[in-house]
Amino acid sequence: MNNPYEVLGVSETATDEEIKAAYRKLAKKYHPDNYNDSPLADIAEQKMKEINEAYDAINQMRQKGKGTDSQRSSGSSSYYGASSSQFYSVRIYIQRNMINQAEQVLDSTPMGNRTAEWYYLKGMCAYRRGFNEQAFNNFTTACNMDPNNGEYRAALNNMQSQRAYNYGGYNQPNNPNGGMGCSCCDVCAAMMCADCMCDCCGAGC
Amino acid sequence: MFGYLQIQKSELLVREYEAYKSVYCGLCRQMGRDYSHLARLILSYDCTFYAMLLMALSKSCSGFESGRCAFNPLKKCKYALCTGDAYSKASAFSVISAYYKLEDDLNDEGFFKKLMIRAVLPFFSHWRKKAAKKYPETDDYLRDMTEKQTNAEMLNDCSLDQAAHPTAQMLSSLFSSEVSDEAQKRVLSEFGYQLGRWIYLLDAADDYEKDKKRGRFNPYVSLSKKEDINRLESSLNQCLARAYDAYGLTDFKDFRGIFDNLLLLGLPTVQNKITDRFNGGNNE
Repeated sequence: MNNPYEVLGVSETATDEEIKAAYRKLAKKYHPDNYNDSPLADIAEQKMKEINEAYDAINQMRQKGKGTDSQRSSGSSSYYGASSSQFYSVRIYIQRNMINQAEQVLDSTPMGNRTAEWYYLKGMCAYRRGFNEQAFNNFTTACNMDPNNGEYRAALNNMQSQRAYNYGGYNQPNNPNGGMGCSCCDVCAAMMCADCMCDCCGAGC
Repeated sequence: MFGYLQIQKSELLVREYEAYKSVYCGLCRQMGRDYSHLARLILSYDCTFYAMLLMALSKSCSGFESGRCAFNPLKKCKYALCTGDAYSKASAFSVISAYYKLEDDLNDEGFFKKLMIRAVLPFFSHWRKKAAKKYPETDDYLRDMTEKQTNAEMLNDCSLDQAAHPTAQMLSSLFSSEVSDEAQKRVLSEFGYQLGRWIYLLDAADDYEKDKKRGRFNPYVSLSKKEDINRLESSLNQCLARAYDAYGLTDFKDFRGIFDNLLLLGLPTVQNKITDRFNGGNNE
């Protein structure tokens, strides 16, 4: 294993508090909730495992961690449980990131059998490919067809929160100016933009 | 690419800003060395980003040195030093992508613009050949993108997803080819895909009015109603959200503060500036 201090990004002289803070920050970052439905979910899970191990190792080395710090989250992955599903094979394919095969099965389903689940899985394939618009439409259809299904709802909610992406506190829906009140900044930004345009097409025009 | 990958300068630490600038200057110098002084003109923020990413991935930034700016000899410059070929690769990407962009413009610009493009195209063609010899893969990705883009635009009902796919795919291949670890490959592939998608969708929105006026292809059917704008913003937001999630799983350590700034502040600012135009145009 790598140096556990390195994994958590702290120096070996860091205090216990600093280590805990670093661990918490990383655990929040890699939390499975952030990677719902993502094609990278397994990698995030792996990272989570690494920092958990590193944190445990440090605690052991420091002869502390006698079960006092056990409130950390364990990666509870919500894998598809519905084995009775009509599209069981599709789910397995998606789980293994074999999107072409999954879509092949879905596309060969006759029109009459295209249930809410079909739209959900179709959306999941699109999502894995990065086709966000198609995924959004399919998840919406699935939810409309079966409004009580938690799984479809969760996928749609996940999408919606991404679509209302709010990092850096910008783009508040109630603030039409997007928080860019400072005209001086606007001028600077505009000049940067103009500068860049010059760079881009300098030779062209 | 189109110069959308900008940092938000006001929120960077001074040392980070200096590092950023020194990569920019280093790349500019390389463009002059590899191609010509004229080629320096096409240097963009996008390529600076690419160079920075390459250096971070290969851990090849070895320090900084002072020198003189080639454009303005009175000005002192700092240059980021690089032990690998990040600079020359990014320069190659610059000239190759500029060439294909011009070639594409030949098809849909007006008469005078066409004349001008024809005048400079031989230079670009020469640089492209030189760059492609050194980095055939980069040339393959970009040529492939251009071809697929043309095909996608010929589809009867080209969806946003289909229209954005070639650009997204190009960045995805470009980024993921830089690492050998399987998991990191997938992370960078998703990162590149969503970032490329964002660039394409934003550029299409940026050009929307111009394209409609001239009757050129634009993936947006309409951007006049409130719900169209909401949809546009949502799809852009989602690209950034997914790109940022993927970025969170990358392993590299260098320039982290700059990338954070770019993804969390710079790109949203660039995006808002463009979408604000459609939101009633009161921010003109």
